[in-house]
Amino acid sequence: MHFAYPPRKSSNPPPYLRAAKLPGLRRSRLKVIAAAGFAFLVLIYLLTRPAGHGHYKSYVPTGNPPVVIVTAFDEMKYDKPYLDMIKDNRIQYAEKHGTGKCADLCLGYKTFFGKVGDYDLKGAPSSWTNVVAVRHALTEFPDCKFIWYLDQHAFIMNPELTIEEHVMKASKLEDLMIKDYPVVPPDSIIKTFSHLKGQDIDFVVTQDKDGMSANSYVIRNGDWARFFLETWFDPLYRSYNFQRAETHALEHIVQWHPTVLARLGLVPQRTLNTYSRGDKGVEYQEGDFTVIFNGCSSTKECDAEAQRYVERWRSEFKST
Amino acid sequence: MSLSRSPSPVPGGGWSSPGLNISTSGRSSPTRGYSGANGTPVMWESARLKRAGDSGYPSFSTQNKGFFTRHMRRLSSSLPRFNAGNFYPDEKKDKPSQGSWSGPKVPLLGRLRGILARMGRKMKIRLMMLLLLILSIVLFYNTPLVYYWRRSPWLGGGQKFVIILAANVGGGVMEWKGAREWAIERDSVRNKKKYVAKWGYDLEIVDMSTKKRYAHEWRESWEKVDFIRSSLRKYPKAEWIWWLDLNTFIMEPTYSLQDHIFNNLEKHVYRDINEYNPLNITHPITDDFLDAESRSPVGDGNANSVNLILSQDCSGFNLGSFFVRRSPWIDRLLDVWWDPVAYEQKHMEWEHKEQDALEQLYTTQPWIRKHTAFLPQRMINSFPTGACSENGNDTRIHYDKKDRDFLVNMAGCEWGRDCWGEMYNFRELSYYLNRNPWERFKEDLVAVAWYKLTGRKVKL
Repeated sequence: MHFAYPPRKSSNPPPYLRAAKLPGLRRSRLKVIAAAGFAFLVLIYLLTRPAGHGHYKSYVPTGNPPVVIVTAFDEMKYDKPYLDMIKDNRIQYAEKHGTGKCADLCLGYKTFFGKVGDYDLKGAPSSWTNVVAVRHALTEFPDCKFIWYLDQHAFIMNPELTIEEHVMKASKLEDLMIKDYPVVPPDSIIKTFSHLKGQDIDFVVTQDKDGMSANSYVIRNGDWARFFLETWFDPLYRSYNFQRAETHALEHIVQWHPTVLARLGLVPQRTLNTYSRGDKGVEYQEGDFTVIFNGCSSTKECDAEAQRYVERWRSEFKST
Repeated sequence: MSLSRSPSPVPGGGWSSPGLNISTSGRSSPTRGYSGANGTPVMWESARLKRAGDSGYPSFSTQNKGFFTRHMRRLSSSLPRFNAGNFYPDEKKDKPSQGSWSGPKVPLLGRLRGILARMGRKMKIRLMMLLLLILSIVLFYNTPLVYYWRRSPWLGGGQKFVIILAANVGGGVMEWKGAREWAIERDSVRNKKKYVAKWGYDLEIVDMSTKKRYAHEWRESWEKVDFIRSSLRKYPKAEWIWWLDLNTFIMEPTYSLQDHIFNNLEKHVYRDINEYNPLNITHPITDDFLDAESRSPVGDGNANSVNLILSQDCSGFNLGSFFVRRSPWIDRLLDVWWDPVAYEQKHMEWEHKEQDALEQLYTTQPWIRKHTAFLPQRMINSFPTGACSENGNDTRIHYDKKDRDFLVNMAGCEWGRDCWGEMYNFRELSYYLNRNPWERFKEDLVAVAWYKLTGRKVKL
């Protein structure tokens, strides 16, 4: 028999057909959902287990102030007017890089003046104050980026130059760095590393004709700086009677401890450590950053040296 | 059965010896051979019995008198059918118990298939899950899987731990090692190897024999520094390095380092040395030029800044068992640990060389203090009663088996004590304490009961 159309579907629903409450939630699907949920929970558990503890992150300084200039003054040995003149030089330089130039957020340089007698050196020569003063400055300015230590017998001569731009900027530093060169000239077998990049450098220092010079150096704030300064200030170094106290201790550390050498950038003396007399190192020329009155040991001598440069730096500072 | 029936001497019946012909099933089958052999007609049993009944021959066996004759049918139908599979294929579903009686002829696979076929679906699923569970447990614990699980950095994290074991102390060329020294070394190494294999750590056995490199130099006994450095290089995934002297024994190999110490580091360590301060080190440092963190008794108070964990015994720092964490900080410490200027001034005072140098650094350097923490000695470095014994037994120092201390360090046993004896005793004690339940049952119950009953000690 043939019909034109297939028979109509019955309009009565078949009995015993269970109406699903939710179309997607059949018994079999529920199982799948439960299994998936369980797997998800396991995954969450695996991912969020206490994975030991987070890694140690050292404090990152915010850069306020960017640079702290540290000088330790020996007020017992040198007269006040002479020292005030030098303090004035530091303060003026810091002010130059303070409020004057920037528009909105002003992060001026700061100065930090240590004083001989402020610290208990346990019988070590007073020049060790230079080291501990830098450490103290780190405590006082935990957010600073760089610390620039400059000896008390020195003037900043060129107010145009800044530490971040002309010394510590990575690209600039890579140009300046003296690589694969004996750290203590002329014949130390320990040489500066040749693979270092600008951003690896935490400590910028110079050499003069006697060896390493601790008259003027820059340290980048951080854990390493604290390690380095505290090691440098070690009581066993202080009690050792190094001939040139902290300078020779520095030479010792640099030669014996590669973790220090790996952060050290040796730069030409002209960068931040020119001398007033050329017999011990590079002599000051017009336009250099600083001048250090090397070889003077009393107010009279040092003041005489200083007088040669006072007018020059004052006029330089005024003109800019 | 056949002999319970006496032969029926029926003439013409052809049953010369009926015992042979009555099969065990109780049914007699007609055999063609008889009819062919002596011409007698084939006789069915009913006919034969009938004939036997009404035959005039006297017989001691009468019809329907024997037990088996009467109950043959009933008995036989209740007996197992050995070829049921062949004869009654339809009955399987109705008689599920029959399968267990299946005869030897059915192959194993067929029987299993039969069991499976008779099982309900739910039961099958449950059984499958059980099997799966057992299988996964077996797979996990009886294969290297558990090892890789514990080792992998994001599951067990075992790769983060490396144990350095200082072997061959003072041996080598300088001094002949005797049988006892060899035995000590063998036991100590085996102990660490087992522990490492259990938890997926790495073991680095280093040779402490006095090397030429150090023999003419001051640096003798600072080899630790070099070994830690080279291990950090060799195991780039290691986070913690655990230094162990040779005369140590891990008493509880079931403790993992993670569970025992590192998952809850801040709870276990103390950073304020005033908690236990045998050296009377002034703590914290009070110098004004230092920052608050350096002057705080607990550093920054956060467990993740701890880079060196050691313990103190009765006379100060003990470097028989200590941990260092890979960090820039540890590079610096390893770098400054030995310094010629410090050594030149102090070597007469430094009896324990590198240990005293570390104490010196801890005392004078704030950056070291900030990242150093101490563990109570008995967590990683219990002493036997022979060491530190001047003031008698100290619960902070000496091993106590009731507390199941983790590690015992026979410190100083080479000076007048019996290293091998101590090592042997602690080894046996460790085995005794860590017996499995079966051994406990045997030794604590059966052997004791046997002893009480018979008065004889047995070793099971």
